[in-house]
Amino acid sequence: MSTTFRAGEVAATETERVVLPRRAGRRHPVPAPRRKGLLKFGYWWWALPGILFVVGIHYVATSIGGFFSFTNWTGIGAFELVGLDNFVRIFQDPTKLGALWNTLFLAFGSVILSNILGLGVALGLNRGLKSRYILRTLFFMPVVLSPLATSYIWKFIFDFNGPLNLILRGLGLDTVARAWIADPTWAIWTILVVLVWQNIGFAMVIYMAGLAAVPVEIEEAAAIDGASLWQRFWHVTLPSIRPAVAIATTLGLVNGLRVFDQIMALTGGGPAAATETLATQVYKQSFALGNFGYGAALALLLTLIILAFAVVQQRVTAGRSKED
Amino acid sequence: MTQRRRRVTRFAGLLALPATAALVLAGCSGSGSTGDAGGDADSFTFTFATSNNLESPYETLAKEYMAANPGVTITTNPTPNDKYGETIRTQFQAGNASDVVQTTPGSGDARGLVPLAEAGFLEPLGETATSLVPSGSETLFEVDGETYGQPLDFTIGAVVASMGTAGMNGITTWPTTMDDFYADCEKLAGDGKSMIALAGAAGPNAGLTAQGIAATRVYAEDPEFNTERADGSTTFAESEGWADTLQTIVDLKDRGCFQQGAEGGGFDAITNGLAQGTSVGSFIPSGSAVEIAAAAPAEADFKVQPFPAADGGKPYVLASSNYTISINAKSTKKEAATAFVEWLATPEAQEKYYEASGLLPISEYKNLDLSDTIYSEVVTDITNGSYTTLPNNVWPNPAVYEALQVGVQGLLTGQTSIDQVLQNMDAAWTD
Repeated sequence: MSTTFRAGEVAATETERVVLPRRAGRRHPVPAPRRKGLLKFGYWWWALPGILFVVGIHYVATSIGGFFSFTNWTGIGAFELVGLDNFVRIFQDPTKLGALWNTLFLAFGSVILSNILGLGVALGLNRGLKSRYILRTLFFMPVVLSPLATSYIWKFIFDFNGPLNLILRGLGLDTVARAWIADPTWAIWTILVVLVWQNIGFAMVIYMAGLAAVPVEIEEAAAIDGASLWQRFWHVTLPSIRPAVAIATTLGLVNGLRVFDQIMALTGGGPAAATETLATQVYKQSFALGNFGYGAALALLLTLIILAFAVVQQRVTAGRSKED
Repeated sequence: MTQRRRRVTRFAGLLALPATAALVLAGCSGSGSTGDAGGDADSFTFTFATSNNLESPYETLAKEYMAANPGVTITTNPTPNDKYGETIRTQFQAGNASDVVQTTPGSGDARGLVPLAEAGFLEPLGETATSLVPSGSETLFEVDGETYGQPLDFTIGAVVASMGTAGMNGITTWPTTMDDFYADCEKLAGDGKSMIALAGAAGPNAGLTAQGIAATRVYAEDPEFNTERADGSTTFAESEGWADTLQTIVDLKDRGCFQQGAEGGGFDAITNGLAQGTSVGSFIPSGSAVEIAAAAPAEADFKVQPFPAADGGKPYVLASSNYTISINAKSTKKEAATAFVEWLATPEAQEKYYEASGLLPISEYKNLDLSDTIYSEVVTDITNGSYTTLPNNVWPNPAVYEALQVGVQGLLTGQTSIDQVLQNMDAAWTD
């Protein structure tokens, strides 16, 4: 038996044909891979309609909106170019500073709280508990519910004669019970509670994915070396899930800066503009009050703020992961 | 991929294309139908605002017209009230608004007809409409001498009170002085009830309450206040009447006339309060009284009552036309639409409107005998002219009313002062 196959020779046995290497020589040309099914006829320019849609709806429409920020359009009828007047008005208006402060407060507050609580829940449900699958589903459910619908239910809960105050009065804490949504100090906190409640599940899911990639052996080794629970978390677990932290905080921040549904449903920006944010102001100015140009200028400003934070966020977290 | 999976994916892919096409076509035809009702020259579309799912008076009128004119088809488009102005503006801007559209006089609202007419969206109406315009308020209905909205109703803005609830709590007659009013407030507050149900978190109710009180403190003394403000000869900050009005609201709150938690109340606080008898009255449009009366027990006996004037003042209420009918300038069915709008001005149509909505019809209210209706207590004020137009219809832009609404909320929570509110209203006024 020879140890190679020459072209033209017939394999003596099935085994020879499979096992013996072919001798280098004239080879059959490797056939080009045939694409399966419908893609047999695909070309790159088939993506063109989709690209046009994205460019048209996202970029062109946004640019037109940006153009209107330099006009005095009311939303109907004619308009004139007014240059930077709208932007000057924004910075001269003291209520806009309040709106900016509320925007930042809600964004950072919801990111920090929902991430810390989400991480805590993810750590607790990572392994060990038998009921963890059911608990994971329960914690994630608020995320998939409509923000508007849940905000109306929360509004009922916070109502002066709603369940929260009933419980407080039942416990004898009558002086603590108040109209939460109409209280100038507490209204913004009610919004924060609703935001965090809805977003804990989202952060939890991201952190669970990150934690699943952390090998148990490292933590066990740390435990054997005498590290306490907190030391294990801070020095072993947390560095391993840095990418998850980056993703969760970026997404949370960008969404937190433009939150709208919950505020309009709970307080409508009230009481007396105490919970107005840039997003609610954009809606009110553009559509309710007919100052479309001014509203567009506010929207442009909000876009730039979100962009700035997103870029800073990416730099900070990308820089950290490069150290590893 | 297994053989079965591959077939399933292929099949799903093949299905996706016709499914998407069907969705796109359904979406296109949905928006197209508002502008194209059957192609028949006598068919047209009619958009109006609605706050609930009951049959609107406009629906009733459309049905009456179709019954009286066989061959005419009216496609009604009831549209939610809370975003009505924004909705019709978008439709006008996009060119697919209905042929006949309900609007509001003036420019103090997103559905105001003056800005819509100035933008060229409305068709000038004829003599019938012009003849119905209440004298003295032409600027609300006309632009450059042409009338763009035909008034339909005559709404009275005062306190809608359940005399049944009042009677059950020992109040046999409606108070006519502020001292009597405050005394009644204290009596009710002792039982955990209130004289007035206020939806402090709902801008429209906060604003209407302020305007209802302003009728007595501002416009009773100085009916020309709005014109003077427009001329610049006075301001809100200088007006003692407006300062009095806002002070009255603070006093009402401090003396327990509003329900507990009023600063956070929504419209449901009013509906529940009036229907269940925990509040006697509320500043709501008279038309809403008919709706709430249907939900309340018959003993409730709702009446439109004037808010007591300040000491030495005279009684005054708000009364004006707040709903107008306009025709779309881009309509292709203008003849049919005009015939319908003219029919709305006839006595029969006005009678039907009154029966269906409880709102007083604009042309016939002077001829109706109101002594047995909810309006019996304000008939004298109306007949001797002690009323003024709803102020925010006359103001030049929505921001002034918004400043008043926000200001009232701020006074209820203690976030702002009366001077601050008046200054904000002045700052929002643009000429």
